[in-house]
Amino acid sequence: MSSMKVAKGRILVGKYELGKTIGEGSFAKVKFARNVQNGNYVAIKILDRKHVLRLNMMEQLMKEISTMKLINHPNVVRILEVLASKTKIYIVLEFVDGGELFDKIAANGRLKEDEARNYFQQLINAVDYCHSRGVYHRDLKPENLLDSNGVLKVSDFGLSTYSQKEDELLHTACGTPNYVAPEVLNDRGYVGSTSDIWSCGVILFVLMAGYLPFDEPTHMALYKKIGRAEFSCPSWFSPQAKKLLKHILDPNPLTRIKIPELLEDEWFKKGYKPTSFTEEEDLNVDDVVVAFNESNENLVTERKEKPVSMNAFELICRSQSFNLDSLFEKQTGQVKQETSFTSQCPANEIMFKIEEAAKPLGFNVYKRNYKMKLQGDKSGRKGHLSVATEVFEVAPSVHMVELRKTGGDTLEFHKACENSLSLLLIQKYKSHIRKSATQI
Amino acid sequence: MSSTIATDSHGLSDSWTIGERVCAALMPLIAVVEVLILTVTGCFSYCPCISIIDQNHKCTYTAKDFAILADETRFTVEEVEALHVLFKRLSSSLIDDDSIHKEELQLALFQTPYGKNLFLDRVFDVFDQKRNGVIEFDEFVHALSVFHPYAPMDEKIDFAFKLYDLRQTGFIEPEEVKLMVVAILIEFDMNLPDDLLEAIVHKTIADADKDNDGKISREDWKAFVSRNPSLLINMTLPYLKDITSVLSSFVFKTEAKP
Repeated sequence: MSSMKVAKGRILVGKYELGKTIGEGSFAKVKFARNVQNGNYVAIKILDRKHVLRLNMMEQLMKEISTMKLINHPNVVRILEVLASKTKIYIVLEFVDGGELFDKIAANGRLKEDEARNYFQQLINAVDYCHSRGVYHRDLKPENLLDSNGVLKVSDFGLSTYSQKEDELLHTACGTPNYVAPEVLNDRGYVGSTSDIWSCGVILFVLMAGYLPFDEPTHMALYKKIGRAEFSCPSWFSPQAKKLLKHILDPNPLTRIKIPELLEDEWFKKGYKPTSFTEEEDLNVDDVVVAFNESNENLVTERKEKPVSMNAFELICRSQSFNLDSLFEKQTGQVKQETSFTSQCPANEIMFKIEEAAKPLGFNVYKRNYKMKLQGDKSGRKGHLSVATEVFEVAPSVHMVELRKTGGDTLEFHKACENSLSLLLIQKYKSHIRKSATQI
Repeated sequence: MSSTIATDSHGLSDSWTIGERVCAALMPLIAVVEVLILTVTGCFSYCPCISIIDQNHKCTYTAKDFAILADETRFTVEEVEALHVLFKRLSSSLIDDDSIHKEELQLALFQTPYGKNLFLDRVFDVFDQKRNGVIEFDEFVHALSVFHPYAPMDEKIDFAFKLYDLRQTGFIEPEEVKLMVVAILIEFDMNLPDDLLEAIVHKTIADADKDNDGKISREDWKAFVSRNPSLLINMTLPYLKDITSVLSSFVFKTEAKP
């Protein structure tokens, strides 16, 4: 998770530092972000206000976000907070550390029936819970199913409509039609609950088979197959699984199995444990109301932060060449307690890389802007080793990084620098010891 | 062949002028007088301040010289003595002649006597006040005095300006800044495109050039440094505040040598 690279230049929205884009549509994008106050990682869905207004969906979006914010289900990606600027709406989401569930299939092929059933049960738990609160997904597909160490998390509940392209209004599906119910494709209008169940059926099929039930080279042929529900189950499916899939992938939404019936199905019930969780009482939607308010009060702004700029003379005076310390260090066997290196990587990426290297070495990391303090959690020869780090901008794409020992043993400092930084930065950076020595 | 040599040498002595003959005759006498003078001035007597120096070294500094240098700088007599220990070590690293050659300074700073280094040339030139191609002990002490933590800021500002004024024109010009930046980036194994280098140089000159003449004068530099005191970070050597204890272990080790 922390290995995710952060985009060049530091952009803050409220207390969140925006990172790289991890998902993108025409009018919405999802960015990796970090809460600078507590260091927690989040995902932020950014919606275009104009787009939502153009679709006359502001009220509906506000209602759905408010509902979703009150949902705290273990199988649903939580909405933590909602912020707004003059042009954008920022939906702060729980960040799921793990990939898409379907990456697992891409890597290992189909799942065993028991494992597939376990994920399917979690999916139905999530869908049932949201449906019971009047929120429908409308676009269940592999990208929206995240796997966090065996725990399924469904993302984009209640938000998929607002992520769609301009010509794909309420009646149509976003992206691939393979998971979309026939009534949606036929553009007859649909009930959110039954179309979500169809999508769950397609997902179950893919989990167990390793391929799609409906897959044709042309859209016309694909629509025809979906409309008639023409699919066949592979031989390794158990009879009960085949029977359930027939009920789920029913082209008629009126006769299609409903969730209460599904929960009573013999195949589904095997090993089923209903999700037990306690709802938080202090959940509120005040921030949603504020975000959708027309007034300019409480609006956030995207502000770009840069590292402290370093002019040529600051670079020169930090050079080893213009430094006479070594006259004494060499003669007296002293050890330097500062090191610096230059890099052409973005400043945020450098910060993340240092943090990434420091944590496995047992450092607690405290960040503020482009300064970082690494505090060793184990006591060394001279107490806890602590290192102050700062990134400076020499030119738009050139940075200098200083690491300075602020506590603990100097030899341990050098060991830490060598072990972590030289390994971590060997390709991109030239490490360069300089300045300020001390007697051990 | 031997006859030729004899003839040559004979011819050579015949060609000597009276002055040259007198000189040749008096040379041993002058040497004796010189020895007497040196003995009287006490250079051959036991001198505690330089007891740690190998006996085969030529002795040129006395306790009185150390006292004079202490008066002229921020150092105490003891600190000057400690610096002399360091100086002897540096000046004998390649050529044992009581002066630091450029290669010896390079060896001390960069652990190699080879290769050209822009900064080394500047440091050496600024230290070598007598312009005789070597750094003598008094020059070494005077220059290091500027690096003392208690040295006046003006001295540090002036010294830094001299270092960065590569062509010694009385101005730090954009070309000089560019040369230094390129040298630094080489030190960091970095190769930047020319437009980026120009951007760094342009920004720096723009920040410092108060009178907008496209270069940095002494006045510009002074104002710039007062706004950015961190620019003088390399103009202070914390060791010099307590040079005797910093070098004490080294002095002790040297004394212990046979």
